Amino acid sequence: MQTFILAAYVLVWPLVSLLVLAVIGVATIKDIQAARREKRELV
Amino acid sequence: MNEENFYQFSTLTVLILLAAFYGGTYLLTLLIKKKKENTDAFMVSNHQIGFGLGAASMTATWIWAASFYGAATSGYTYGISGPLHYGLWGALMILFIYPFGRRFRELAPNAHTLGELIHARHGSSSQLILASSNILGSIISLMVNFTASGALVSVLSPLSFQAGVVIAGVGVLSYTLWSGFRASVLTDFAQLMAMMAVAILIIPAVLFALGGPQTLSDGMSLLTPEQADLFSMDAILKQGAPFFVAVLAYAIGNQTISQRLFAVREDHIKPTFITATIGYGAIVIGLGMIGLMALMTGMKPIDGDMNNLIPQMVSMYLSPVFIGLFFILVIGSLSSTADSDLSAMSAIVMADVYGKNIAKNKPDPTKMLFIGRLTMIVATLIGVILASFSMDILIMLVFVGALWGAIVFPVIASCFWDRVTNLAFTSAVIAGLLMFCVARFELLPMAGFIAVLFELLAAVGGGVVLGLMTFGFCGRRVGLIVGALSAIGLAFLCVGFLRDYTVLLASLMAYGVSTLVCIAVSLLGSSKFDFTQIDQNVINYDPAKTEAQA
Repeated sequence: MQTFILAAYVLVWPLVSLLVLAVIGVATIKDIQAARREKRELV
Repeated sequence: MNEENFYQFSTLTVLILLAAFYGGTYLLTLLIKKKKENTDAFMVSNHQIGFGLGAASMTATWIWAASFYGAATSGYTYGISGPLHYGLWGALMILFIYPFGRRFRELAPNAHTLGELIHARHGSSSQLILASSNILGSIISLMVNFTASGALVSVLSPLSFQAGVVIAGVGVLSYTLWSGFRASVLTDFAQLMAMMAVAILIIPAVLFALGGPQTLSDGMSLLTPEQADLFSMDAILKQGAPFFVAVLAYAIGNQTISQRLFAVREDHIKPTFITATIGYGAIVIGLGMIGLMALMTGMKPIDGDMNNLIPQMVSMYLSPVFIGLFFILVIGSLSSTADSDLSAMSAIVMADVYGKNIAKNKPDPTKMLFIGRLTMIVATLIGVILASFSMDILIMLVFVGALWGAIVFPVIASCFWDRVTNLAFTSAVIAGLLMFCVARFELLPMAGFIAVLFELLAAVGGGVVLGLMTFGFCGRRVGLIVGALSAIGLAFLCVGFLRDYTVLLASLMAYGVSTLVCIAVSLLGSSKFDFTQIDQNVINYDPAKTEAQA
């Protein structure tokens, strides 16, 4: 049990990073599409 | 440094890696480069940065080289709870500023720096206090990041420390110089994607290279009872609490954050900052786990230098490909923060120094841009020169954060309370700084009446921190109640106890004293400020945009 908890404690952070990476990636694609649609610069 | 303990790249390999990183980043900025940039975009883009780019930029900016080394050191020193006490509070710095950021945007939608807002509220002296503290923070940040580059290059290759410092300085300057903040935001996105991908791979790779989860279980026997405790008081008081105290101070004192608060689309501020909070926490706590794993395997840092922990673990247990990825991870983190610092400093000198105090709100846009770029060059030179000094990253972080503590209450109060005056602002900051120094450097004997007085002032500071945090999310009444009750509760806990924790005592004193002086001096006056004046005085500098708004 202790082994599982310790492994989860270490490995949960890269998993959360992966989720955030996906959220930011998708949101940025939407940002690019919105900028094109509104004919303005992305930044 | 015993370099035999680290994997060594050849000079050619390191130069290729650096050229690929900085060359690729520079090519990316060509996508947005304009022959004639305008001043507003150079400082805050178009005030319309979207959620994705905003969150990426905020996360990348807040993750610097010290984040990895600091989190790993914390994990190695304090055990199980160590990485949490570094990464969690660092992440909360991003979270707790956004409610105040929305107020800043409401008061001054055209602002480029927080200093401009304070200038419109109080005048030059308060603004310059804020601007100079921002510049100090950014210079230190630049120095630390360039130092990290030099250390990394010298450890993993035959190149010298100075070569690493200079390459990072020139590399960052090359892609930030022309387009300023716009280049910083765009490159932050690419750098963050790379950093996250590498972090996601490296953390499990180290764990399984060590022998998998069973190694962690076996390593528990090497931990002291304090290190094995998730709620270790040692970790809370020596690592967590000083960071917690600095949460608001870092956010207020750092122009890189306010610049993004003014740049992100107003309705995207909340999701942007919440996402950045989670992203920062996950990456930094995750990399801090490498320090914990080092502790659990009984590894000793070479030369006793904690900054060697991560490079040592990566060198010992991973293949050269992973070591190359780690190299890019560190270079990416330090570059994304350094380019944000350059953009922040250029905006402060352009808007706060030239725009407000020299050109008196009627600047020449061409000259303004030139000043911004010149600032970047000078700041890079200073950062490269200062990088030759060796300083303990963790202590420095706490110290600068506490220094900024003195400005937190005066800045926030100035944006919500119409009775705060310029005299109240400046006297509060000066008093807070003085008392911080007295406590931090133990200029008075910490015993008897003085110690009790300082502990009570620190309790007030603790109440201010908790009260302001609550105020940001729950409003004035709840904030006041939480602040007052916390101060009373802390008074009982602090007296006779806090004097042994000098860093924490001094940091809390800065908050407590500046708050008391700010309130007292404000109440002595009778003037009331009209907040609508701020928007009228904080202007766009781009003539085309100003005409369009008119």
